[in-house]
Amino acid sequence: MRQGRLIATGAMLAFCLFALWQSLLLSLTDRLGPGPGFFPFWLALIGTVLAVALLFTTFREPADPADAEVRILPQGPGVRRWLAIVVLVAATAVAMEVIGFRLAMLAFNAALVIALGERRWWLIGVFAIGGSFGVHYIFTRWLDVLLPDGLIWG
Amino acid sequence: MDALNHLLAGFAAALSFKYLMFALVGCVLGTLIGVLPGLGPAAGTAILIPLTFSLDATGAIIMLCAIYYGAMYGGTITSVLLNVPGEAASVVTCIDGYQMALQGRAGTALAIAAIGSFVGGTLATVALVMVATPLATLALKFGPVEFFALMVAGLCLVVGLAGKNMLAALLMTVIGLLFAMIGVDPVRGAPRFTFGVEELYDGIGFVPVVMGLFGVAELLLAAEQRQARIIQANLNKWMPTKEERRASVGAIGRGTVVGFVLGLIPGVGAIVPTFMAYVIEKRVSKTPERFGKGAIEGVASAETANNAYANAAMVPLLALGIPSSPTIAVLMGAFIINGITPGPFLFQEQPTLVWTVIASFFVGNALLLILNLPLVGLWAKLLKIPFSYMCTGVLIFCIIGAYGLKQSMFDVWVMLGFGIIGYLLRKLDFPIAPAILALILGPMMEKSLRTTLEISGGSFAIFLERPVALVLLTVPVIVLGALLLRPKTFSKLRESDVD
Amino acid sequence: MIIRRRTLLAASAATAATIASPAIAQNYPRRPVQLVVAFAAGGSTDVGARILAAAAEKDLGQTITVVNKPGAGGQIGFTEIARAKPDGYTLGFLNLPAVNTIILDPERKAAFNVDSFIPIINQVLDPGLIWVKADSPYKTLADLTEAAKKTPGKISVCTTGILSDDHLAILMVQEAAKCEFRIVHFDSGTQQLAGVLGGHVDVAFDNVGSVFKRVQSGEVRGLAVTDVERSKFLPQVPCTKELGLTTVISSSTRGVGAPKGTPADVVKAIETAFLKAINSAEMKEKMDAVGLALKPMVGAEYAKYYADTQAQAKKYTEWALKMR
Repeated sequence: MRQGRLIATGAMLAFCLFALWQSLLLSLTDRLGPGPGFFPFWLALIGTVLAVALLFTTFREPADPADAEVRILPQGPGVRRWLAIVVLVAATAVAMEVIGFRLAMLAFNAALVIALGERRWWLIGVFAIGGSFGVHYIFTRWLDVLLPDGLIWG
Repeated sequence: MDALNHLLAGFAAALSFKYLMFALVGCVLGTLIGVLPGLGPAAGTAILIPLTFSLDATGAIIMLCAIYYGAMYGGTITSVLLNVPGEAASVVTCIDGYQMALQGRAGTALAIAAIGSFVGGTLATVALVMVATPLATLALKFGPVEFFALMVAGLCLVVGLAGKNMLAALLMTVIGLLFAMIGVDPVRGAPRFTFGVEELYDGIGFVPVVMGLFGVAELLLAAEQRQARIIQANLNKWMPTKEERRASVGAIGRGTVVGFVLGLIPGVGAIVPTFMAYVIEKRVSKTPERFGKGAIEGVASAETANNAYANAAMVPLLALGIPSSPTIAVLMGAFIINGITPGPFLFQEQPTLVWTVIASFFVGNALLLILNLPLVGLWAKLLKIPFSYMCTGVLIFCIIGAYGLKQSMFDVWVMLGFGIIGYLLRKLDFPIAPAILALILGPMMEKSLRTTLEISGGSFAIFLERPVALVLLTVPVIVLGALLLRPKTFSKLRESDVD
Repeated sequence: MIIRRRTLLAASAATAATIASPAIAQNYPRRPVQLVVAFAAGGSTDVGARILAAAAEKDLGQTITVVNKPGAGGQIGFTEIARAKPDGYTLGFLNLPAVNTIILDPERKAAFNVDSFIPIINQVLDPGLIWVKADSPYKTLADLTEAAKKTPGKISVCTTGILSDDHLAILMVQEAAKCEFRIVHFDSGTQQLAGVLGGHVDVAFDNVGSVFKRVQSGEVRGLAVTDVERSKFLPQVPCTKELGLTTVISSSTRGVGAPKGTPADVVKAIETAFLKAINSAEMKEKMDAVGLALKPMVGAEYAKYYADTQAQAKKYTEWALKMR
């Protein structure tokens, strides 16, 4: 866990250094005072200092046994569920603009509830259809939200 | 009193069957829309605008305002039950409200939110009636200078939410501020840090980020565990206990004042009064360590302030035609589309309309309370749904919510990305709330500083010339400095782990 | 979020339209048309756009959906229009000189240029208005410029955006009257109102449509309209031409355009339908109510106006950029 925190803080440090570099590419001053790069520069600098300080204090923290038990990345059977969510949302985001909201959501709904453990096929079917075509109808007809039609339907 | 006469006439109209129905429908639809995770009050209000086209002007405003309040309460419901904030300001409710739900006190949390909202809203409207026009003119004195100072004060308040690890909180704040710099810069008006990605021209979307950090991350955390985080929703026990009631009274009182005062200032936005009320409550509490673990005062203060703010913000809107937040700007747009231009001449030209609308604020607040207290059980029942369906269902709406804002799939990716980031941050005990506040206040802060310098011609001395700004700037800086340099003195405050 | 005006009569209107207006291209439009507005819902541009969309729907024969794509001073919306498929189903509202200044500012890295759009028909010409608080010491524009000459860089004036038409108007006045102001940039008309009425800024450069009601009510005092003639909504406010500042001519115009490459017959169909809508009595009535002056321009006249605005904007934009 401490390792996880160190890595995260390290990532934040890298981010601040990157921001520092990028803001130096902008002008720091302007006729009236701060230029577009001014605030980002100082913020990135302060962030760098804070990140280093945090790395330091995290390092010197006494090891906490209870803490070490907690793993940062998902473990066990939960991994599949965790991955299912991430992968399916990503896949749907890609698919939606190709096959349209309704079809993409249909697949998403069915796939995710199955991945999360549901097995009652009739319920899956009802939910999948309702959660895609039904939701689409409500949002586009009643609520006037534009949802992607994809390249096939549009 | 002239105002009182007008108000009584307004009540006579507002309580007519037609307008009463509009208010009722507005409240119900608003709450329903607000409950849908991912669709906040701004989106919800915008979505329901077409419903009002066929109504007369007064009816349209009544329904729109009812939708607005309803949607705010709907956002509260998802904050408490699912830890998904309906909008920026609901984030604060998530902190203690969700904890209360986890402890089986969801009903109580929702009830105190409803009660607090009712009290805050009604008192705020009473004050509104008494002082609408003179107060609005006074609030105009709050210019970019004072704004900047207010933002700085707001960010320093972040320390109040820091909890155990102030260093981490400060770092998160800085990172939040850096993310806020993406977009149009206030100096040139040109895109900054966008690396050619056009979707970033207007900044990284706040709503997708928040939906990811809170909503998606919560789902990811829940998915990982062996059992889903089922909340024991006890439907019968929604009435707060005597101690809880006593504790909440102060919170509600303070929340009302904070929400109302800040609601009068154009441009403040809902998040500042909500955070402020929460932090103030934590400070005055004798047991601040309970905050973040399900302290009822946390929910009471935030919700009361939020609703007092929402009602008070009607003052700059109606009297000056100046919207205080994006949601209210949507409301104002709806007014204009319906042919009503808010502004001081509104009071002169259409007094019947204005006072009927004000009367209906009272009605709306009451309706929300009457509707939602018994329905608390209904909302809590939502949680009996199996995790697989709940998770998928929430994600459907989150995806629609993120996409629907700007018809941009990019926002969906942002949401997913920040969902993973939020998951990691939560596991590692990094506080997220400071980053959220920074993300919202960052651009406003930089812009108001820039405008201040334009007004002063480049001189920072202007801060010395404006007493309000000076006070707002120095007090929190002193507080922040003291907390940083003398940690031991304030260790009791820092023990509570928020977030 | 889009807010779509639903016409229940769309079907019958389409039939009526094909009978009544044979000028419409044979196979256009076959489905609803999108009108992209580069500014937020509820703003001046948006209000005008929605009124126009609702009126033109009947003449075009299909639903016209207004889609708001605000951000980056209009750049996001304009980019969207420039990138859209040139089939006539995505049209855009072109705000001049916003489009021009975005193109002319190299830091904005615009993804479009002057040729990216086909200007079809102009709707509104909203002239600039210089106004102050009702109790301001400046009673006329001459008062203001005289005072500014005596105290260069001290009197504060505000705009609704960096490189907006208001900004350019300020530079025009500075050039013509040989004075110097302190320029403050806000993001919207409402912020300007708060800024000037609250006493934080001395003068506002805005447009007639945004504040004409308040001038009429006396809440604010209009010093001048930056146009060749007085505004019909504010007959008591002098125009810059009559005051002798003949080079100070600045307005915000909004019209409908299509992406480059849209076929000519489709453009003609759009032009015909929208022109009919703009000239209708209903339209005039609605626009009068919100203080927006109609100035329909089509074809060569609009194209010339577009080019002229670009040239005028170029001069003052370069000046503004030099001042950074």
